[in-house]
Amino acid sequence: MMTSADFKRIRKTQSISVFAILLIISLFVNLSCQKSGVTEEGPSTPTTIVIRFENKVDSLPLVLDTMIYKNSSNDLYKVTDLQYFISDITLHRDDGVDYTVFNDDGIHYVDARIPSSSYLLVNASVPYGKFDSVSLTFGIDEEENISNRFLNPPERDMYWPDILGGGYHYMKMNLLWKKQGFDRTYPFNFHLGIGQVYKGNVINPDSIISYVQNFFYVNLPASGFSIEKGLTKSMVITMNVNQWFTGDNDFDFQKYPNMMMQNQAALHNACLNGRKAISVRFTSGK
Amino acid sequence: MVDLTYNNLKSGVRYSISWVFGFQYARRTLIFSAFLPVLLLLAGLGGCTKDSQDTTAKPVPYIISIPKYFPTQLNIPSDNPMTVEGVELGRYLFYDGRLCGRTDPDSLMSCSTCHMQSHSFVCGIDNPRFPGGHPHGLTGILTPHFMLPMINLVWVNNGYLWNGSLAAGNPLQAKRQLEDMAWMVIADPHEMAGDTSRSKALIQSIPGYPELFEKAFGSKTVTVKNIGRAIAQFVRTLISADSKFDSFLSGGSKLDEKERRGYVLFMTETGGDCFHCHGGEGNPLFTTNLFYNNGKDSVFTDPGDRYSVTGNLMDEGAYVAPTLRNVAFTAPYMHDGRFKTLEEVINFYSSGLVWSASISPLMHHVVTHGVQLTPSQKSDLKAFILTLTDSNFIKKPAFARPLKFPDEQ
Repeated sequence: MMTSADFKRIRKTQSISVFAILLIISLFVNLSCQKSGVTEEGPSTPTTIVIRFENKVDSLPLVLDTMIYKNSSNDLYKVTDLQYFISDITLHRDDGVDYTVFNDDGIHYVDARIPSSSYLLVNASVPYGKFDSVSLTFGIDEEENISNRFLNPPERDMYWPDILGGGYHYMKMNLLWKKQGFDRTYPFNFHLGIGQVYKGNVINPDSIISYVQNFFYVNLPASGFSIEKGLTKSMVITMNVNQWFTGDNDFDFQKYPNMMMQNQAALHNACLNGRKAISVRFTSGK
Repeated sequence: MVDLTYNNLKSGVRYSISWVFGFQYARRTLIFSAFLPVLLLLAGLGGCTKDSQDTTAKPVPYIISIPKYFPTQLNIPSDNPMTVEGVELGRYLFYDGRLCGRTDPDSLMSCSTCHMQSHSFVCGIDNPRFPGGHPHGLTGILTPHFMLPMINLVWVNNGYLWNGSLAAGNPLQAKRQLEDMAWMVIADPHEMAGDTSRSKALIQSIPGYPELFEKAFGSKTVTVKNIGRAIAQFVRTLISADSKFDSFLSGGSKLDEKERRGYVLFMTETGGDCFHCHGGEGNPLFTTNLFYNNGKDSVFTDPGDRYSVTGNLMDEGAYVAPTLRNVAFTAPYMHDGRFKTLEEVINFYSSGLVWSASISPLMHHVVTHGVQLTPSQKSDLKAFILTLTDSNFIKKPAFARPLKFPDEQ
């Protein structure tokens, strides 16, 4: 029996086929244009794009287990675990052509304790040309966020209980924080995923009346980025940890009760901040 | 029920092959037809040379059937593939008290002396030989830690033992794999207190064993390495996936109302908040096999915690989260056996958590000393945890003491 994931893959395959046909047509068009002196811009021998995921706290690199960071409330904190999914990374060419990275089924897991998870090597026939933006999904979208799709660790351990909406945590960030001048630390679980709406706002799993998809899209400008023959491109996707706690909804550790999985208001506010936590930059070389 | 006995091996092989090749069967049929005459010719040539080949039977691969939703990645080293013969030999060695290198009836000790099937392969709190469930070696020295159950170890990929020191990253090359446990146990003063040369020589001298080693590893010469390989193979077959909860996940059994309430508590942050470390429907091993300081102490004196392996201060007082499968049989609980009953464990997580600088942030309920369950919630949670009981696991003949040892056949 086919699952919705199978359908989506087929749909993507069909999209690729359509895309391939379009590319062939455009190749013919380009060839004919060349005869009339128009410059070449089309596909494409396989291109290498190295995507690196970088975790920072403002201008500082993230070092786990180190109490050196400050949030907007001036509280100190250290991060003990940082794990998240980024999916559907898509390059948008200025003429409307898109290229989506399909490595890992399009869902990439980043774990600050696993260095290899910070790299994604894309060897694919990416259309040449100038790209004006990159988009991605933070977390996993509703269609792909299916329970038991990851059976092996470490992705498996991101699972989000079915009773709370199922699928997987978009992000697990575990913290210890403290007020300046004090020794006592307090744990905080900054866990994002599907939220719940409770009847009468009473947090009781038996009174869940609906679920809220909290994944979000990010569209990042990529002016000046181009794919050219023979050049390896490096894309660095940076997450600024502190940005999750800062923005229109300053996230005060004292204000939220150590946990968020069953607190849709907290999940919502965190995700609003998170839209500004991701940035991208590019480099290139032979 | 997942059956790993030899009798079911053939169906397991058939399933695996059809699963792997099923997708491309039709397309490959055409290609295969084109090459069929060539293949037949090669097969005929092979038949002509058959008499000159080595006639020693090769071990039969032992296929582990992976239960529904279990990880597909198994921790089986490439230099010790599972075979029917290896598992059979490992089972004999696991249960043979002469493994310690002694023959005096009072001095026998095998793996099964402490690792008892009836207790999911811990010694059990009611064991008359090991009061309180704390094992000791032949010389009477207590083990540094209490026991971990031997369940589903083929899926452990972060290191074995309470602190995960038996892992690929161990600076001592001889302490990196499950295979290495055999020599460690033979030599350890708090276990068999023997020496590997004596054990090896004794096993070599027992009629029947050299032939079993030959069948499994191609040589009648007994080596410590192959003793370890065989026992590790047997231990990797100890799979538990036949509890009421497994049946519930597969759409068979239903949880009763009390168990269902306990399940909800297990899976929610506002309830018992157990799932982050102990898994659940998304991780049916019921452990992440990761290491946590779960808030038992504020001062740490055990030289064998996770900190002793990593040197990271955040690992002080941290130990692996044990599987909750068959936890009804594995008392006492925690690395030091401080809790005698499941009720004591639940009470601890409800109101006994202690803060320390290295406490895992996942123990965020420490600010209220625990998850603060009511008496009825505690009872519900226990009812759910007991749905993880796999009684067939502790009775399964394939895991039990052999009726006869090789020299008694």
